[in-house]
Amino acid sequence: MTRFVENSIVFPYKRSLGPVIGAFMTGLTEQRILGIRSGDQVIVPPLEWDPQTGAELDPDGMVEVGPAGTVESWTWVPAPSEQHPLGHPFAFAFIRLDGASTPLLHAVDTGAPDALRVGARVAPRWRGSRVGHIGDIIAFVPGEQPEVDGPDSGPAEAPVTMMDYNASITYRNPVPPVLDRLREASRDQRIIGQRCPVCERVYSGGRGYCPIDAVELGEEQDVDLPHTGTITNFTIVTPVQYPGQTETEPFARVFVLLDGTDVILPYQPVVELPVGEVRVGKRVAAAWAPPNDDIDDAGAMGGAYGHLIGWIPSGEPDVEDPDLVNRIF
Amino acid sequence: MGAERTAVIGVGQTRHVSARHDVSIAGLVREAAQEALDDAGLDWGDIDAVVIGKAPDMFEGVVMPELYLADALGASGKPMIRVHTAGSVGGSTAIVAAKLVMAGIHERVLTVAFEKQSESNATWGLSVAMPFQAPLVAGAGGYFAPIIRAYIRRSGAPDYIGHLVSVKDRLNALRNPKAQLHLPDIDLKTVQESMLLWAPLRLLDVCPSSDGAMAMVIGSEQAAAAAPGPVAWIHGTAMRSEPTMFAGRDQVNPQAGKDCAADVYAQAGITNPREDFDCAEVYVPFSWYEPMWLENLGFCPEGDGWKLTEAGATAFDGDIPWNPSGGVLSSNPIGASGMIRFGEVAQQVRERAGDFQVPLKTGKALGHAYGGGSQFFSMWVVGNTKPES
Ligand SMILES: [Zn+2]
Repeated sequence: MTRFVENSIVFPYKRSLGPVIGAFMTGLTEQRILGIRSGDQVIVPPLEWDPQTGAELDPDGMVEVGPAGTVESWTWVPAPSEQHPLGHPFAFAFIRLDGASTPLLHAVDTGAPDALRVGARVAPRWRGSRVGHIGDIIAFVPGEQPEVDGPDSGPAEAPVTMMDYNASITYRNPVPPVLDRLREASRDQRIIGQRCPVCERVYSGGRGYCPIDAVELGEEQDVDLPHTGTITNFTIVTPVQYPGQTETEPFARVFVLLDGTDVILPYQPVVELPVGEVRVGKRVAAAWAPPNDDIDDAGAMGGAYGHLIGWIPSGEPDVEDPDLVNRIF
Repeated sequence: MGAERTAVIGVGQTRHVSARHDVSIAGLVREAAQEALDDAGLDWGDIDAVVIGKAPDMFEGVVMPELYLADALGASGKPMIRVHTAGSVGGSTAIVAAKLVMAGIHERVLTVAFEKQSESNATWGLSVAMPFQAPLVAGAGGYFAPIIRAYIRRSGAPDYIGHLVSVKDRLNALRNPKAQLHLPDIDLKTVQESMLLWAPLRLLDVCPSSDGAMAMVIGSEQAAAAAPGPVAWIHGTAMRSEPTMFAGRDQVNPQAGKDCAADVYAQAGITNPREDFDCAEVYVPFSWYEPMWLENLGFCPEGDGWKLTEAGATAFDGDIPWNPSGGVLSSNPIGASGMIRFGEVAQQVRERAGDFQVPLKTGKALGHAYGGGSQFFSMWVVGNTKPES
């Protein structure tokens, strides 16, 4: 059975809204829905440019529409995911707000699909606390009268110009067999590499194939690698702060060529090696954290070598080799 | 080339700054595109197709800019193409647009590239942890710093060479009102005393983070004849790529870059780039990449790039000015940076570069972009005379 590991990529993006979308978002905090005039049309939600001609639309031509409107088309969402606007079954609908020429896509909360039909009249249910986001409307509900959910904290104090956009995506990654073998061996502090049967190059890092000969490297090609190697190149990073950055002080990332191997381990952390003493040719040995079961994405190789946490000075004399510095990948 | 003669007939760009909170992404690209249309004396309806490019999606979290930006770029009812080659994308986007005209498919193509770095953090975008890989927590500078160290050791270049480039490009930027960094007091000492960001790179050896967009209108011979101003004729275009990592790869002097240069020089009749070009706009996001690319692009023998830099050959008043606009070191809206290089050389041969106009002798100039782990290259040669065929 193929094993999978999950990893999530999450980032709080910012959006600058510009004059038209900014005015629309500001309007939402005031419980007003704004469209923009383009000829004899009123486009809702407003656009900065006419979608047909590309002509610039005038932010002074923004007009209030709704608050009620008519359902033009809809689809039922029987099992909402956590990314949907409501936690219970609802409809996504095209709603033509009164005074608008184009429909707005939003959620309609009717409890059951048989309560909804094309032509149904709906009105917004506003969030009590509004920030200038399309989610300031929780959903549309049957009827002509808008509602406010909970105490009304009023409009935004200043015009809305920015919006948070918290993006996240989760991947399920299949784990190649070679990485499972590496990980299991790492529990006994063994570092497994593979020798290509054709060219005899020895690969570290769990590659699973020889890119020179285009052959797969299976269990029979596994070899135990020594725990010592040489720093071929490095960088000292002064960290910039961003969400998820845990480093605060300058730190080293080194490329390690394990003895008897042909490819480096890239971007490895160092242990008990001050940044001022990192240099090309420095000899290092593997450093391990105490073992435990939770090693999927830990360590110096994202879990491939388990609790290998980095490289510690071995105390041996430096290697003098002018070509070493070129071993970057 | 067996292709239709093709020219840049309009150029526009934003003033590059660290954060444009006053416009949406759409508003940003629109500014550059409108300026290019105005320059070409055209309106939105005159454009046959739109080709856009931006850097990797994680940099802004916009996954389908071609969808989101269709109305902002007047693309309704027209072909719209998105190009995607990491940091070189601005160059390859312009080349795709040019090919649509060279092939005789379209008369006038609008091409736009942009980045709004203030919406995210590019170092984060380049450092996303993946299972079973060593996490690259270092960003682009951390990636390129070891390669630069290898160049320094290989060439025997003195350690201040990179700093000379940092000063030179920032002094050039003072002539360019659209450049982000204007550092009138910069000198060697300021660079040497700036924070060590990614050894051996110091803060001032590194490009800034920018919001900006670049646009060009590329037209046929007929469209060029109808243009209100001078045009920049395209004498050659080339793109090459190679894998980021393979055994024996020369990271410092990549084969793909050498091959790309040889291809575009052959098309444009360039035999001695140092003499045959009046200037070059080359993608130098980290100062040391000037001497490295001088060698990769054949402006000198391998190992001699730093000597040209040190001798001032690439300075504004040198014999072969590199990045008279101030270059990537002075403005870096990543997705646009390659197209800015391509557009700035077009402006040079049109004699539209303002205070950073170089004297024209041959009337030819080289635009260059690279991206990824030095694995994508795109280049074009433009000139002030019509190509022969
Ligand atoms: Zn092999």
